[in-house]
Amino acid sequence: MLQNIFFGLSLGAVYSLIAVGFALVFNILKFSNFSHGGVMSFTAYAGYLAYIWIFDGKVTGVTMFVAVVLTAAVVGSLTAVGIERVGFRRLRSNQAPVIYYFISSITLGILLENIITIFASSNFYSYPVFFSSKNVDLLGTSFSVADFVTLLFSTAALGALLFVLYRTKLGLAVRTVSFDVNTATLMGIDPNRVVMATFALSGALGGISGVFLGMNYSLYPQLGQLVVKGFIASVIGGLGSITGAVIGALLLGIIEVGLIGLVGSGWMPACVFVIMLVFLLVRPRGIAGVIVQEKA
Amino acid sequence: MDYIYSILTLTGITMIGVMGTYMVTGLTGQFSFGQAAFMAVGGYVSAMLTLRFNLPFPVVVLAGSVAATLTGLLVGMPTIRLRRDYISLVTFGFGEAIISVLNNSAQLTGGAEGLVGIPKRVDLLLVAVSVICCLFLVACYKNSKFGRQCLALRTDELAARSMGIDVNRMKLVTFLFASAITGYAGVLYAFYSQYLEPGYYNWTVSAEWLIIVFVGGINSLTGAMVSSVILTGLPELLRFASAWRILIYCIIVLLIINYRPNGIFGDWEISRLWKKRRAVLGGRA
Repeated sequence: MLQNIFFGLSLGAVYSLIAVGFALVFNILKFSNFSHGGVMSFTAYAGYLAYIWIFDGKVTGVTMFVAVVLTAAVVGSLTAVGIERVGFRRLRSNQAPVIYYFISSITLGILLENIITIFASSNFYSYPVFFSSKNVDLLGTSFSVADFVTLLFSTAALGALLFVLYRTKLGLAVRTVSFDVNTATLMGIDPNRVVMATFALSGALGGISGVFLGMNYSLYPQLGQLVVKGFIASVIGGLGSITGAVIGALLLGIIEVGLIGLVGSGWMPACVFVIMLVFLLVRPRGIAGVIVQEKA
Repeated sequence: MDYIYSILTLTGITMIGVMGTYMVTGLTGQFSFGQAAFMAVGGYVSAMLTLRFNLPFPVVVLAGSVAATLTGLLVGMPTIRLRRDYISLVTFGFGEAIISVLNNSAQLTGGAEGLVGIPKRVDLLLVAVSVICCLFLVACYKNSKFGRQCLALRTDELAARSMGIDVNRMKLVTFLFASAITGYAGVLYAFYSQYLEPGYYNWTVSAEWLIIVFVGGINSLTGAMVSSVILTGLPELLRFASAWRILIYCIIVLLIINYRPNGIFGDWEISRLWKKRRAVLGGRA
């Protein structure tokens, strides 16, 4: 029981990275960034390539893991900034309606997925085993090291993000722009730089979650479609709320593990979907309860 | 010749699917990433009714469309009153859920190996007639009171609401109509290809339809139809590798979105040709 909850938490931690990366961009541009999935699969491959080309044989174990995750995070930020440049910069300067952001983000997501399919073919690759399958004994139950590290690392990444958002000048700028772009501009904030920074942060989170997903599942071009878990988590938690996203993701992780035990992994996605529908019927605002108004 | 027939038929079926997407996106400004899942519902329900109960084809067609509409109701009811993002996210999740259900009820649906042995009931003629009928219905809907209300609410929901338009009801009605049409496309596909597999109804199919609508111009039904012919028919004929084809689509879309945001056709409709001519003739008389 305890073991299952722990497994659920570690799964939820990965989902929370996805959901938060998604919520960051939602907060600032007020649209759902569907290219996040593309960034995730892209970085998962980047991490794998970094492992094969650079780190293999030089470092091992935890050092290797940290190196791969950091590489993926950097690649993720760069990709996301590139996406912003190609897909959204011009739209923002044209003040295009939200629909165009949507289409642009979907297109970029599909584009990334197909670039991977073309260059890496749709084969499955598997990530190296970073941690021996040892278990840690705690409170009479045993936990796997990989889950433990996942949980630890995700918490650290989220903590770093919260620090940047709430304790630094850049974070203040991000929050200001997400509140009101025009006022922020009048106060001397350059919205282009802030949006770029937000995309970089979200891309870094996407990169880290990409590696975790690659470790948990195998590596294939459609890996990014697991971004749907992040969407569900943010729907449960409340769109655009970062705390909500984290809570929703952890809940989702635990629910999923519970459902796998109850109905099996095949029916789990359908059950989760029904739970989400019920949730939307009962409390459409999500747990955090923030209502994000659509701009008229 | 068979090859060309099959491309034409598949293009026709895609056109019907694109009409569904056009209604959801072009008329009400919602984004559905699970439109292909309605096609799956229509296709699987009709095929299973035929295989298990041997019902006649017209009944099965009706049943497939009705089933798709009912699923549309299930998905649309909780989400349509919320902001636009929810319908995209929920339909996305819906697509994944449908695929997982199809994959995991192997005794009923054949699972990942697919459903085989569906009799062939659909040929090019039927598809062509269906395309024309659906096109007629959608065009009428667009020009009717409902269609104009939809366009109003897409442009400015608040203004539409204050003019007395029941925004949520209009969105739901349009969404259901679109689900029915897409379900019908699914039935056609099932009885044309004689084989169904869950992997075909991926969200990328829905996204591809959205892209098609967008390339043609979000305000123009003519544009959506022309671009679905160009973007599905031509590459098949020219035998592009599929990954490259989608890559090229994406680049086209990015160019269009950045430099010509109204799509190729803008809000031009082919019906303007004869409307204008009539106006000119009327002016002379």
